[in-house]
Amino acid sequence: MSYCVNCGVELDKDAARCPLCQTPVVNPVCPVDTTIPPNFPVERREVEPVNRREAAVLLSAVYGVVSLCCVVLNLLFWWRGMPWSAIVAGACAMLWVWTVLPLLLRSVHSIFLVGLDLLAVAGFLWVISMAVDGGSWLGRLALPIWWGCSVVLLFLWYILPLRSILSRCMLVLGSCVVLMLWLELCIDLFLGGYQPMWSLVVAVVGVTLMAPLLIIRYRPDLRREVRRRFHF
Amino acid sequence: MVRRRGQDKGWFQLDNAAMMYSAIQSGTYSAVYRFSAVMAREVDPQALQRAIDRTMPRFPGFHVKIRKGVFWYYFEPDDTPGPYLQPDIQNPCQPVYFQNKDQLIRFFYYRHRISMEVFHALADGGGALVLFKTLLAVYLRELGEEIPNQEGILDVDEAPDPQEWEDAYARYARSRVRLRKSEPRAYPCTGTPEPFYTLNVTMGFVSVQALRQVAKSHGASITEYLAAVLIQSILARQRREGRRRELPVALAIPINLRPYFPTRTMRNFILTVRPSIDPELGDYTLEEIISQVHHHMRLHITRQEMQGVITRNVFFQNFLPLQLVPVPVKNFVVDTAYRLAGNRPYSTTYTNPGAFRVPEQMAPHIQHMEVVLGQSYTPRVNCASISYGDVMEITFAGTVKETDVERDFFRTLVQDGLHVKVTSNRRE
Ligand SMILES: [Zn+2]
Repeated sequence: MSYCVNCGVELDKDAARCPLCQTPVVNPVCPVDTTIPPNFPVERREVEPVNRREAAVLLSAVYGVVSLCCVVLNLLFWWRGMPWSAIVAGACAMLWVWTVLPLLLRSVHSIFLVGLDLLAVAGFLWVISMAVDGGSWLGRLALPIWWGCSVVLLFLWYILPLRSILSRCMLVLGSCVVLMLWLELCIDLFLGGYQPMWSLVVAVVGVTLMAPLLIIRYRPDLRREVRRRFHF
Repeated sequence: MVRRRGQDKGWFQLDNAAMMYSAIQSGTYSAVYRFSAVMAREVDPQALQRAIDRTMPRFPGFHVKIRKGVFWYYFEPDDTPGPYLQPDIQNPCQPVYFQNKDQLIRFFYYRHRISMEVFHALADGGGALVLFKTLLAVYLRELGEEIPNQEGILDVDEAPDPQEWEDAYARYARSRVRLRKSEPRAYPCTGTPEPFYTLNVTMGFVSVQALRQVAKSHGASITEYLAAVLIQSILARQRREGRRRELPVALAIPINLRPYFPTRTMRNFILTVRPSIDPELGDYTLEEIISQVHHHMRLHITRQEMQGVITRNVFFQNFLPLQLVPVPVKNFVVDTAYRLAGNRPYSTTYTNPGAFRVPEQMAPHIQHMEVVLGQSYTPRVNCASISYGDVMEITFAGTVKETDVERDFFRTLVQDGLHVKVTSNRRE
């Protein structure tokens, strides 16, 4: 029998390293016995994951029925002059992507699902624009705004969980500033010429808030000092 | 009496603890624990399957399905054949799902080891050990041994006794006060998560005699001593993380209520006590931690106080406005509350079902016993121990990569002069 030189515990005869501290077993008198069967089985098995298909089917059926009813009603009362059922159907399709896909695609990374959700929003915007046939605002206003929001959201979704609280605050602030600048740019270009006004105010406030955070974040002595002064 | 009426109908209600366990069970969590007996000879699967078939009819409360009613879950006797013995797997205590074919109790064998896994809503450790002990006795009889029905082994030829399936919580919820305990946030002892289906198990074996001597020299019982050493390792871990403000380290220690409230039930009948150490008050030596744990347990494990807590728990279960909330809503609320708060007041769980005693004719056939607690929401280890003869077995199990808690724990035992043998299912 061998002992871990680090922990002082006796080990299995077939243990090549200590399970507690990973120190390799080197015992010239009693080499690691690889012939004896291991103390625990090696075969792995997993129970089947919970079947979410029932919930997915149910939700799909609900969305399908709602869309279908609206289409029928719309066909019966066409006199409104507008295919409003298309909007309802589009909303149902978007909700389907939001709620049913996470049930079906459980193993994929959440950022992929968020991407799909955003694509669904774009699709819904397109359906609305087709229904009210105002194609111009879609390409010039809605899609650029959607594009900006998507980029910022995906970026934050990816990066936030990995950061400290200080960095998170900075990232959220910075993203807000970028988003506001982009928003005003889109709106101004849609209305006529680009004349930055309110977004610049937001940007100045945001950057002013970020600056001290940035300094505190990257100057350890300052960070300690702030902690000492504010007792946290 | 609702219960008796229920039994005539062929179904029965979940008890108070079972309701909690079934509400919080989900795709990523279920309260499953495992008892194993390592036999002197290799297991004969055919004889063991025969023993299971003979034993299970005596324990109808373990051969049930869980069903969803409108307002509550309930148990229904399972008339399908089984449970069937399976070859053991590396990753024990897989979660239980409430689907038709899922068994709430499973049996495994691997070389010398016989294992039984139980969903916690069925029974607590005390109840499950009655079944396990009886099964082992029947198995040894199948192999031709003479084993008497002593030391808590039930006669499998008897008819099941309804008293063994009573809801003891409901019976003892008679206190005038509904006791409510404040349970502040504790240090969450979490680490790097493994893929969910991996359960890392590390077992340590210590002599009971030597352990009792050491615990006695500190003026504590074995449970108190081990709990204190565990708290010390978690405190050391928190210190290494270098937090600005350290949180209290608190253990959830389930207490078997049967010695305090006479009952023959095999269903759940436990409450937890929560010894804790607040490192913000200053550094504690092991001696001081042991003293804290010792006095906390002696102070709070009283019949009166526990009856107050039972009364409160059962009150909520029988509170009509709550009863009328449909199951999915209830589950969602309980599950969310447990995720947010339930794990928070405890750093980890330590459970010690005590000594496993068998008739002397059975003793030479069993080498030692093992116990494993199943998966938890958060990636952290929990601790369980069981003694048999002179072997105390201590298990650390969890879906976490790090081994520092168990390493410090066993090193402390070694420093206290104990001989520790360690084995693990971890593969590099
Ligand atoms: Zn070691």
